[in-house]
Amino acid sequence: MKANSPPLRIVLAKVGLDGHDRGIKVVARALRDAGMEVIYAGLWQTPEAVVRAVDDEDADWLGLSLLSGAHLTLVPRVMELLKEAGLSDVGVLIGGIVPESDIPKLKAMGVARVFGPGTSMQEIVDFLREPTGARHG
Amino acid sequence: MDEALLEAFQRGERRALARLLTLAAHGQGSEFLYRLPTPAKASRVVAITGSGGVGKSTLIGKLIEHVRKQSKSVAVLACDPQSPISGGALLGDRFRMPSMPSDVGAFIRSVMAESGQGALAKHLEHMVQLLESFGFDVVLIETVGAGQGDTASRELADVLVLLLQPETGDDLQWEKAGVLEVADIIVIHKADLPGADSAASQVRTALDLAGVSSVPVLRVSARTGEGIPELWGAIGKIALRPRQQFSDGVELLRSARDELERRFSRAADSPRVKSLLDEWRAGTLSRNSATASLLRLLSELPISES
Repeated sequence: MKANSPPLRIVLAKVGLDGHDRGIKVVARALRDAGMEVIYAGLWQTPEAVVRAVDDEDADWLGLSLLSGAHLTLVPRVMELLKEAGLSDVGVLIGGIVPESDIPKLKAMGVARVFGPGTSMQEIVDFLREPTGARHG
Repeated sequence: MDEALLEAFQRGERRALARLLTLAAHGQGSEFLYRLPTPAKASRVVAITGSGGVGKSTLIGKLIEHVRKQSKSVAVLACDPQSPISGGALLGDRFRMPSMPSDVGAFIRSVMAESGQGALAKHLEHMVQLLESFGFDVVLIETVGAGQGDTASRELADVLVLLLQPETGDDLQWEKAGVLEVADIIVIHKADLPGADSAASQVRTALDLAGVSSVPVLRVSARTGEGIPELWGAIGKIALRPRQQFSDGVELLRSARDELERRFSRAADSPRVKSLLDEWRAGTLSRNSATASLLRLLSELPISES
């Protein structure tokens, strides 16, 4: 990361009804410690509210945490709304419990990466710092 | 500066506003601000300050709902602190405000306040100008919560609201807080908790002693909704500060200061500054003459790009 480039802005949120927010908080803290601006939108968000947050906050990335198994219902909705809002250039990350066999489906929808249990924080930070993906480079 | 972006902003596209706010937050695009037409109507700019945990975000959330019920549009700039260690920030105010994804009359933006810069983010006045120009009736600013003596909010806002809560210290604590003298309205927040009455009367006494007894002291609870309409009523009674003339002068001073800061950070690259420092270390210069020489050298450096 160049010393003068503005920090990456990333919205972190949980969509749907699962109430497990330990993981997303750990990630929020790790990204903050990596020098990023983390906008924590928290639990129980609707896809509409998440996309609104990405829009108003002018975020480079959106990180969604899902542990409910509803990823194939909620993620397509988020991707669709991002597209409608003209935000297709925002990178989307998924974290949480996602069966191996669903990962290609999520990627086909435009999700940049799915991080499962056991992912190191460094791995996420390194991925976000890669020049590809984030629209502001 | 991208002309298409400016046009989109002037057409009222939210996306363009969001993008310009990012540029403004990084100190860019200020030349654009001077090209904006004077807004048809000034926004009411209200700064909410108070120490961490006093309920600023939660109360702002309630104020958003109250203001929207009156069919006025509202934008929020929520400042949270930057980590002095990593330079990153966890911006968590949005989480405590209502999410109204279909409501175009409400806009919430989280802003990182650089560490050591006080209670407000840098360049916040430009962000406020953008929101005003976009046409928001109300702009709410949440400070990072220094609480004591954050007078920068005073320059920027029409109305400064200080939040205090019960059981936060004895009556001497109110005497210390310099912000008591600059606040337009003082709110005893969490007024549903015990001790709110005595806190209110202690603050009242402190204000009387300071000779600012006209400042309203209101009991408000975001939890029960008590006092929200009264608070908004009190905010509405305060006259808007005059815009242009005042803020222009302040901005000029600030931009000169920022430029000087940038020059300081690049000073070590200048061979002439280096040799001056060498002379100073060698003990051949007095402090006063070295200071004068350094300032002269800095003033001769070219203007920074940003």
